[in-house]
Amino acid sequence: MADFIKNPVVELPERNPAPAVPASELHFTEAEKARIAEYVKSYPTADGAIMRALWLAQEKFSFLPPEVIKLTAEEVGIPYAQAYGVATFYTQYYKKKMGTHVLDVCTCFSCQVCGGYDMLHYLENKLGIHKGETTEDGQFTIQEVECLGACGSAPMLQVTNGPYVHNLTTDKVDALIDALREGKSWPFESVTLPQDEDEMGGNRRTDVSATETYQTPPVSETIR
Amino acid sequence: MEPKTGKAGDWRNYERVLLPKVKDLHLLEVYEANGGYKALREILTNDKWDPTAVTNEVKKSGLKGRGGAGFPTGLKWSFMPPINPDIPRYLCCNGDESEPGTFKDRQLLEYNPHAVFEGMLIASYAMSLAGSYLYIRGEYADWITHMEGELKKAYAKGYIGKDIMGSGFSTELYIHKGAGAYICGEESSLMNSLEGKRAYPRVKPPFPAQKGIWGYPTTINNVETLAAVPEIINRGGEWFAGIGAPTHAGPVLYGISGHVNRPGVYEYPTGMLISDLIYEVAGGIRGGKKLKALVPGGSSTPVLRADMIDGVTMDADSLREAGSMMGTSGMLVMDEDTDMVSFLRRITHFYHHESCGQCTPCREGTGWLENIVTRIDEGEGNLRDLDLLIDLCSEMEGRTVCALADAAAWPVRYTIDRFRDEFEAKCKASLVPSGVELTEATA
Repeated sequence: MADFIKNPVVELPERNPAPAVPASELHFTEAEKARIAEYVKSYPTADGAIMRALWLAQEKFSFLPPEVIKLTAEEVGIPYAQAYGVATFYTQYYKKKMGTHVLDVCTCFSCQVCGGYDMLHYLENKLGIHKGETTEDGQFTIQEVECLGACGSAPMLQVTNGPYVHNLTTDKVDALIDALREGKSWPFESVTLPQDEDEMGGNRRTDVSATETYQTPPVSETIR
Repeated sequence: MEPKTGKAGDWRNYERVLLPKVKDLHLLEVYEANGGYKALREILTNDKWDPTAVTNEVKKSGLKGRGGAGFPTGLKWSFMPPINPDIPRYLCCNGDESEPGTFKDRQLLEYNPHAVFEGMLIASYAMSLAGSYLYIRGEYADWITHMEGELKKAYAKGYIGKDIMGSGFSTELYIHKGAGAYICGEESSLMNSLEGKRAYPRVKPPFPAQKGIWGYPTTINNVETLAAVPEIINRGGEWFAGIGAPTHAGPVLYGISGHVNRPGVYEYPTGMLISDLIYEVAGGIRGGKKLKALVPGGSSTPVLRADMIDGVTMDADSLREAGSMMGTSGMLVMDEDTDMVSFLRRITHFYHHESCGQCTPCREGTGWLENIVTRIDEGEGNLRDLDLLIDLCSEMEGRTVCALADAAAWPVRYTIDRFRDEFEAKCKASLVPSGVELTEATA
């Protein structure tokens, strides 16, 4: 019964894995050090800067193995244990090697009732992997994630902690996968407010691409 | 029967103030051209506005926090201790919007970021703060990048920083990026997160106004709450208090999602009839189906059956009477085909995943809630599981440091209470093997 004890919902990293980043590459450039110093200045004590610094480290090394967390902690000037605690608490810090593109499919209740699981299963079938797994070519990882705060444009997903892809359909998923395979990035999509559609004739921002005005959510085939 | 009306007055002709009808308002130039930073200039340059006067104006407006708890904002500001020049004081703007069903703050950050900045600066003046932090969840990476650009522009124009507009008042504003944890929306864990710790909620008291970030006096307000402040200064607290429901005044962003024809964020006064919001504003239920259930303000607020929303308006009092809460005003609408057991299963999974693990009743309780609801959903449950779940909820509510355990227990308690027949239908009919006759001894 107690499945969740044997399989904790939050996966913890191995205690002492072999270093994933070779010692020759394990350092920050002067520019990166300057950015971290800038972060440190924004807080009364250095501690506060660790989250921004870990983000920077993850951008550089693509994930956070223990040696990278240690390096970041030293650069910020806080104990390794504290930085490790922070890195393992938050879900967006990758503790293991992920695919080049991480597809975070939201299935929390608004997305659930609007076909979030249909999209998740479609993606799983399309890429031939289950959620939590990475394709053999190392291109894609699929994750099922909690609410991403875009319930009005459900179902939706996020690409590698970056752009949101709203109002998903199977066609849109196909287009997204093709674009990512070709090395293109997905543009920022601004969701038009229904009131703006009525009163201003479309999206209020003129500097970004807007998604279709609004969409009646699809009828879901599966709820899980 | 006389027709039910809401408390929102003539909402069809309502003129939006949080997201006014202006193209490209997210750019500093456009914001300035449309009366932006006027309220800040007014309070900094006009002697009539000392910090207490600003707080009093916000008190007069009746503005209540839009983050879920609905605490009066002006009152919260007045809790800050007397000024001591040796002790800096801070403001945290809570943009860690992660309650399922809530997506209003993201629209504000995207379309009207300077109103948020200006609200934070006015709050900083009213409470004489050394600085303020805008905590935005890490998933909103694109919006953070955009806001950092706008923040730089505001700094360059001298709206933030040293000696703002020659008034002698100085304050700083920083954007902090989270990294994906629902619990950071809880004010004390947000503070721990800012301090570079694991985001565990803190025991209260001491309250943030006494000991907040790094032990300094701190106030925490929601993004939407602070974005409403500039207009309160511009047009006066009385104007604000006159909008919508008298006890829960002001404009509010309704996030309507789920099975409606036009999901999205809408700005209207508080006190809108729920039926108006679903059928008039959001275009009715998808495919002309019937309404089955509604979650009025994010996943933790108790679900309402379709027959319970008659005449209910979106304000704290009316929703309390109806048996729910205003929460974050992120409404989820479900049509007649929705499976309430599966719906609850997904909610329990959410809270299990997001429990920070600090308190045992929550860490273990959310796991068992998920396990038992899953068992029922898969047809393996027994009727007595329903009472077991209710019992488990009672063991969780009010027994933890923060309200996450309560937030996890309420949907379970009320969904079972209000849709018990569906849960019973999925349970095995009886514990008693077939062929055995029920007597007092075997029952």
